[in-house]
Amino acid sequence: MFERFTKDARAVVIGAIEHAERAGEERVDEPHVLLALLDREGSRAAFALAALGLTGQREAVVRDLAEARRRGGLSRADTDALAGLGVDVAEIVSRIEEAHGEGVLAAGRQGGARRSGRRPFTRGAKDLLTMSLRTALAHDDRHIGDEHLLLALTARPGVPAEVLADHGVTHESIERVLWGKGETKAG
Amino acid sequence: MTEATDLAERAGDRDPRIGLRAVSALRRLLEQLEAVQVRSARNQGWSWQEIAAELGVSRQAVHKKYGRQ
Repeated sequence: MFERFTKDARAVVIGAIEHAERAGEERVDEPHVLLALLDREGSRAAFALAALGLTGQREAVVRDLAEARRRGGLSRADTDALAGLGVDVAEIVSRIEEAHGEGVLAAGRQGGARRSGRRPFTRGAKDLLTMSLRTALAHDDRHIGDEHLLLALTARPGVPAEVLADHGVTHESIERVLWGKGETKAG
Repeated sequence: MTEATDLAERAGDRDPRIGLRAVSALRRLLEQLEAVQVRSARNQGWSWQEIAAELGVSRQAVHKKYGRQ
């Protein structure tokens, strides 16, 4: 599949691995892919993000992702669903941090020992790559570009899609700026 | 235990989508909490056997999951 990735898409995958390494995390997950997408310049994804006004909001996006990590990677939809059961995630996070230190839930999946060698991708991150292929096929594109990775990210439920949506970047808005779809609906 | 049963029951009488999401989120939260507690126990010198006994699983299961050096 990787032979079909454009240079930009490969750079995003490599960037995601680097973000995971830098954070000391054992696995490469979908938020790392988003962070890598935010690093791109001059690519199709970078164009879409800039067109949707995300350029100046990079820090805010990074902060939102970090906040979700602190909740153990649970999205707002997750915490809302749990609130429906009477489970107060914020309360749990605060008690656990009180006892075990700040950001301890974010470290939940850290290995610490994996300093070298290949970092495995989470199932979600693997599914994301597969979905980017399907996204490219759906647009009759021969190659998988970073815009397909971005689009696939917004199509999957979870923290990255929620954070992007909070900043006005949704599946529909990307389709609109890159493929001119849904203009009548938007206008 | 009764609390977990209570949660399961209440998860059942909602919109299935919300209920299933809650269960999935709870499972992920549980995994994170387990990792925190196992790490804490190891830091305090607990053996894998002792941790496994508290978690109600086999020593091998805990070691396989967290015992990476």
